[in-house]
Amino acid sequence: MSTQTAAWLVLAMPLAGTLIIALGGRILTPRMAGWIGTSAIAAAFAFAVVTLVKLQGLGEEERHVASSLWDLANAGGLRVSLGIYVDPLSVLMILVVTGVSALIHLYSVGYMSSDEGYTRFFAYLNFFVFSMLLLVLAGNLILLIVGWAFVGAASYMLISYWYRRTTATAAGIKAFVINVIGDIGLVLGTFFIVRQMGVVDFGPLFEGAHSEFAKNDPSLVAGMILILVGAFAKSAQVPLHTWLPDAMEGPTPVSSLIHAATMVTAGVYLIARLHPLFEWAPTAATVGAIVGALTLLIAGTIGLTVTDLKRVIAYSTMSQIGLMIMGVCAAAYVGGLFHLMTHAFFKALLFMAAGSVISAMAGQQSLDRMRGLRKAMPFTFGCFIAGGLALSAFPLMSGFFSKDALLFEVGQRGGGWIVFYVIGYIGSVMTVLYTWRMLYRAFWGDPCPEAVELEGGHLHHAHEHTNPANGEVEDTEVGFPGAEHHIAERTWQMKVAMSALAVLSVLAGLIYLPFGITDTFEKFLEPTFADSIVTHPANDGLEVFGVILTSVLAIGLIAVAYRIWAVGEGRATAWQQRLPLLHRLFVNKWYFDELLDLLFVRPIAWFGRFSRDSFERVVIDGALVGGTSGIVRAGSSAVRALQTGLLRGYAGLVMVGLAAVLLYFLIRAA
Amino acid sequence: MTSVLASVKGPEIDWAAFSPLLGLFGGALIVLMVGLSSPRVIRAHGVPALTIAAFGATIGLLIWEWNEQVSLIQDALILDRLTILITLLVCVAGIASTLLAWREQAAREIAHGEFFSLLLIAAGGMVVLAASRNLVTTFVGLELLSLPLYILCASRLRSERSLESGLKYLIVGSVGSATLLYGFAMLYGATGETDYAGILTQVVKEGLMGDALFLAAIGMTIVGLAFKASLAPFHQWTPDVYEGAPTPVTAFMSVATKAAALGVIVRLFFTALLPGVDDWRPAWIAIAVISILVGNVGALGQRSLKRMLAFSSIAQAGYLLVGVVVVTELGAEAVVLYLVVYLLANLAAFAVITVRERETGSDAIGSLRGLGARSPILAGAMTLAMLSLAGIPATAGFIGKFRLIEAAADGGYTWLGIVIVVGSMISLAYYLPVVAAMWRPDTEPGVDPATGRAVLAGGAQEAEAERGGWEATLVAAVMGAAILVFGIVPQPLFELVGDVLKGFGTG
Repeated sequence: MSTQTAAWLVLAMPLAGTLIIALGGRILTPRMAGWIGTSAIAAAFAFAVVTLVKLQGLGEEERHVASSLWDLANAGGLRVSLGIYVDPLSVLMILVVTGVSALIHLYSVGYMSSDEGYTRFFAYLNFFVFSMLLLVLAGNLILLIVGWAFVGAASYMLISYWYRRTTATAAGIKAFVINVIGDIGLVLGTFFIVRQMGVVDFGPLFEGAHSEFAKNDPSLVAGMILILVGAFAKSAQVPLHTWLPDAMEGPTPVSSLIHAATMVTAGVYLIARLHPLFEWAPTAATVGAIVGALTLLIAGTIGLTVTDLKRVIAYSTMSQIGLMIMGVCAAAYVGGLFHLMTHAFFKALLFMAAGSVISAMAGQQSLDRMRGLRKAMPFTFGCFIAGGLALSAFPLMSGFFSKDALLFEVGQRGGGWIVFYVIGYIGSVMTVLYTWRMLYRAFWGDPCPEAVELEGGHLHHAHEHTNPANGEVEDTEVGFPGAEHHIAERTWQMKVAMSALAVLSVLAGLIYLPFGITDTFEKFLEPTFADSIVTHPANDGLEVFGVILTSVLAIGLIAVAYRIWAVGEGRATAWQQRLPLLHRLFVNKWYFDELLDLLFVRPIAWFGRFSRDSFERVVIDGALVGGTSGIVRAGSSAVRALQTGLLRGYAGLVMVGLAAVLLYFLIRAA
Repeated sequence: MTSVLASVKGPEIDWAAFSPLLGLFGGALIVLMVGLSSPRVIRAHGVPALTIAAFGATIGLLIWEWNEQVSLIQDALILDRLTILITLLVCVAGIASTLLAWREQAAREIAHGEFFSLLLIAAGGMVVLAASRNLVTTFVGLELLSLPLYILCASRLRSERSLESGLKYLIVGSVGSATLLYGFAMLYGATGETDYAGILTQVVKEGLMGDALFLAAIGMTIVGLAFKASLAPFHQWTPDVYEGAPTPVTAFMSVATKAAALGVIVRLFFTALLPGVDDWRPAWIAIAVISILVGNVGALGQRSLKRMLAFSSIAQAGYLLVGVVVVTELGAEAVVLYLVVYLLANLAAFAVITVRERETGSDAIGSLRGLGARSPILAGAMTLAMLSLAGIPATAGFIGKFRLIEAAADGGYTWLGIVIVVGSMISLAYYLPVVAAMWRPDTEPGVDPATGRAVLAGGAQEAEAERGGWEATLVAAVMGAAILVFGIVPQPLFELVGDVLKGFGTG
């Protein structure tokens, strides 16, 4: 099997899974659908490994393979093919996507098993994986846009999966609209690039960029900033981030897969993929780095005050992706992608553990209700600790090495980039604090009633199912979550998936250790980034400094967090009272929703109302629609009388049009 | 007597190249005769089968003549790539409409023989129109297609709506025909020629470009043709006629008439009237923009599917015009390509409407509720049709729009491309609710959820008559599949419509 064949098969597996589950929905039992979906993704992972092996078998210079099935369009000098591009970067992405997805599918087989829409869930989930793989394997900008749009659609379907929940459908629409804004940016940006270059395939695109554009050419910068808008929308960067916290309305496996591990990292992938163009337009790269840094800080502060368990992790995701965007924009590719990979592991793990906790709390998600779950759910607790340590970059965990590598590479560039280096560490402070705030509040202290019940061997069930977001009463039919809840301690599929990710969260750092101890990861990615024009001068002092600073921050702040949230009752409240304005700003998420509402939603809504009240009523209803449909509605008794009038009217209008056309031509003649 | 006949020398006719037309008109005669036979089964099933055979034979003859380029009957007609493609479209639409009309009430009411032979004659008229290279043949073709359609629209003799639709079409249609005829007369007056080639030579030789008579003639011609292609502001008849006519007839009209009208617009304006391009281009652009706006805005808020599709077809005709006004080869190719994808989507949609109309007796958008659960094939085809008309990627409609926008940009009219995009965005607001309605669970009262048939639908005889409809499902499935396939593998379409202008400019 050649590299290309293996890569095409990676793409084919989830597509086949989607089709089998969607078309065979009536024949398959829900259980079978779940296993078919899971095995399709597992097979895709197997083929991804084959692709990796085959690609590594090639010489270093040849490690980028393009393959196309047929031309989608070949017109006007522009050739667009249905083609893929396999190089270390895309192989890394397909490995992460298929690997994490396979585990999350496995988890879902257990977690979602009492849901009435089980089959539909797996059809959507497989479709998402297919779209994501299409996005990362696409060999040209056009196909990438197609994957990009498919991913947005899949995300919409999965957020609104519990479609009878009003909050879920509203969140889905919000996510979709913001994603479409990003799509428009991406399409326009592509147009800017393609107009000048005349090619859409990645290989020729990167080779020709330096000759077609001057460095920092305004049209290239404009194009790249538009493309960045697409990346920001998909990766939930300020100010297009407001959809991500709301996206937590989707089932927890969805949050884990799409809104933590894979889809939201598409922006990071896009920037890394187009790095030759971004490096040639440094202004755009700087804009990207600034936005990433802003998101890192803003999302971190919000994460410190949110009380919904899943939303804390969501803001953490935003913040971490801000860090990655900042990294890749600052040409810290290896570190950025390394963090992308480890983050996929530990963040997926955290969401899975959160799902287990929420099940134990019978659907409740508020941290205010959780307390002392440590003893009741030892396995979940262990996983949460593993994920939390990795997220807060505790020494020797995977997140420690990846964050360190990322910030070190940023710092290596020196000059103005040092600002981003410092911001990265400020972000780290907040990361540790919100992570351990969440952990201490949920697992330490006196057990809450639900935890006591669970310790007694019984899983808490609510008397009445309610929507955790607004308290609306629900049933457990299709369109709402199912009746049964599943916790990791009692469901082997969840246990296996979480164990695998816990091991990865702890150990994945070993493939890229500082001081050149291991450099497997860097060597692997080298062919992709060999054409980078940014140099990273060696700086041993900085590297030592970074390692020590990261360790000290993590250990020290975990202790501080312990003082505030685990033992010191009321200390957190005291802080809140001391800084009321700041707290209000953070709790209200920096008023971004309100800002967007004021800037976009209200003017558009006002315009819509205006059009409906004036333009539509007078012009459309009155003149256009009223002229025809209004008459049809008039009863048959009036038809005859109206008919002649109508026809005369029609003929009259033809005459008016004719007169206008004739007048125009006669004026031309004169 | 014989000596007189001998002295009149008939024009040379290349019978091979003429054969597609003979297929249609010959078929019409045979169908009419067979329709007189007494056994009911022959009338009800033999006649439509023969109609399909006639259309099929015509397609066969077209393939036989595929690479030919022959001028016929002293240059009155021409068989070239454009003619062949338009004829192909008309025949495919004819086959599909015949399948849809197989169990149609209307065909029984005015007798099968008449119904289907009128269909064939109308198709023949369309071919004549698209192939004509002479003002007189153009007009003959136009009337040949219009007259049978007037009758077909009114063919549900017991339905007031249908009769009204036929009458309206006849009266307003006559105004259009008269305008066109007037335009042709003035064109003849200005140039002294009826031949397209002759007009071209004369205009260039005499320098008629700014001549008032010539320009007035162009104006009237534009209005007449815009009327036939249902372009705004000459579209008012369209929604009423589409809604009232029997659905298979509407399907045929919406697709085939449009193809023929666009064919003749391309031929007439790309050859005979080409020297006046700077004068007629702004007029066509205005009509295109108005059509896109009026069609899309008018379709919003329509409850009847057929009415909605009527307005949508006005907008689609506006998109098509964009390919004409750039006056490039790419533009002409884009027009024909778009005609193909428009045909696929519209026929799929009308097939589904036909089935639903037989089941529920209504073409309201609400009548589609729950279709997705009961008949995924129909609902899938309708979904694809709506998405294709809206131009969503991975459907043929996207390829078509893409090509049109490309042609617009290539011809220096990028802003018209943007108008297309804006129009498509508006159109989502009326295409998507149709899709949403189908996949929503059925809670409609008075409909049997098992069959989707109205519980109180007529007597036993009517129920028996309305049973079946696998033909319509077949049409929907084939068209839906084609939308998807061509959306993903469009290259065959590009190859099909390539060289569409081959033969222009030569005799």
